[in-house]
Amino acid sequence: MLIVEDLKADIGRVPVLRGVSLKVAPGETVALLGRNGVGKTSTLRAILGLLRRNGGKVSYNGQDLTRIAPYRLAKLGLGYVPQGRGIFPLLTVEENLFLGLEGPPPADIVEALYARFPRIAERRRQAAGTLSGGEQQMLAIARCLVMQPTTIMLDEPTEGIMPKLVAQIRAEIGAVAKSGIAVLLVEQNLRTALKLATNVYLMERGQVVHEATPEALKANPDIVHRYLGVSL
Amino acid sequence: MTDVVFALAINGLVWGLIIALIALGLSIIFGLLDIINVAHGDLFMLGTVGGLVIATATGSFWVAIVLVPIIAFALGLALERFVIRPTIRQAALTIVTTFGLSMMLQEGVRATYGPQPRRMAPPIGGTVPLFGIDYDIYRLFAAIFAALALAAFFVFLNRTKLGTRIRAVRHDPETATALGIPVARVCGITFALGTAMAALGGVIAAPITTVEFRTGVDILPFCFMAVVIGGLGNLQGTVAAAVLLAVMEGLVTSFANPTIARIVSLAIMSGVLLFRPHGLFAGATR
Repeated sequence: MLIVEDLKADIGRVPVLRGVSLKVAPGETVALLGRNGVGKTSTLRAILGLLRRNGGKVSYNGQDLTRIAPYRLAKLGLGYVPQGRGIFPLLTVEENLFLGLEGPPPADIVEALYARFPRIAERRRQAAGTLSGGEQQMLAIARCLVMQPTTIMLDEPTEGIMPKLVAQIRAEIGAVAKSGIAVLLVEQNLRTALKLATNVYLMERGQVVHEATPEALKANPDIVHRYLGVSL
Repeated sequence: MTDVVFALAINGLVWGLIIALIALGLSIIFGLLDIINVAHGDLFMLGTVGGLVIATATGSFWVAIVLVPIIAFALGLALERFVIRPTIRQAALTIVTTFGLSMMLQEGVRATYGPQPRRMAPPIGGTVPLFGIDYDIYRLFAAIFAALALAAFFVFLNRTKLGTRIRAVRHDPETATALGIPVARVCGITFALGTAMAALGGVIAAPITTVEFRTGVDILPFCFMAVVIGGLGNLQGTVAAAVLLAVMEGLVTSFANPTIARIVSLAIMSGVLLFRPHGLFAGATR
């Protein structure tokens, strides 16, 4: 279980997280929603230690992550699909996929992965930068799954993706969640978030201001409008 | 006259390949750590001095060519950890830090090895006829060795796990960290590799240059020109630019003199900065 308590972080001298608290239990899909600039991406980066934390506690399965070097978190089971996909465009698709593994990839994992992502398999010798946006997002998700995570954090996975591919990515995230992997999802697309999530946190000004189930949120359009600026 | 032109052009090619090795070290360090290593020429100088000292002590140049890069790699690891890492991501500070390191290396060598320039006997004597001139066999060996070292480096970079990780960290250290790559360790190894390449260039060059504490001072501007003309952080571009510049300087020297040749190089660099600020070979990075 991922537990974040009163997490604080600054960028330069500007406080971007003012005490974020949330929980992601095994098998859960948690959506972190909010307007642009409220600290959603910073929350994920601070959990992973990619953004320097200056207060609070982050623990994963009982281990205090604030005392562990950020690069070790992948091996603890924390996967990350960054905003903008984080693909290495000049590396081949295959190099991208297996970059985090220490040795050669186990044959069964490769086989299962290529069966699940046939488009990625077809293009494995190509430079990753030549893939379409949707394929790059699939590659980012596949690359994360190669590490056999127990929790995946996805930052705006449908951002900049052609509308007809959004459903495909949504289905893939749903399949990941169904396989028992916990998901922490930062998403601007409210429809996608509410479809996938089992629990939702709303953020404003670097803090979590509301927690609800998707059903409760749908029943409370005022809250949605106040914190997200959209109507359901 | 044609003989002289050939000789100077081939000399340029030989130097170009050695300088490419050194400039490549400078370029990977810049590309990964974002630092302009002003001490890089002095790491080349340490290679020439270390090569001469080890070859003299053991009686074998071949021992020196093996030992010097290994020692330089270890030195590079220590320098990255204790000199570079504390100032990383602060561009102005790294220039001051590496400038200080340059002074320390030069004065350290002057204090221990002495100020007088020395010569190192080539391990392979004799000449071969080449395009109508008798050309030193050792210079040909140096060119071939440098070319093989460059090829080996690119094979390492493109065909090994560590090489792939270096390329990934160059592009996006944060995502690389999230994927479980120890970025600080990759940076340390890369700096050490750059140091070893400069020192290896030094050992190869020792028999065809003077060996003294200021040897690196002349080589550094040439390496910077190669890096700028090739495109900052563009490794293949750096190699191509180093070879082209050195051959061009060799050819110009045959008609004018080395000073004019260097002025032409600087003019080319200025032109590149004005009209192709990302380098002559922008877009060819991998």
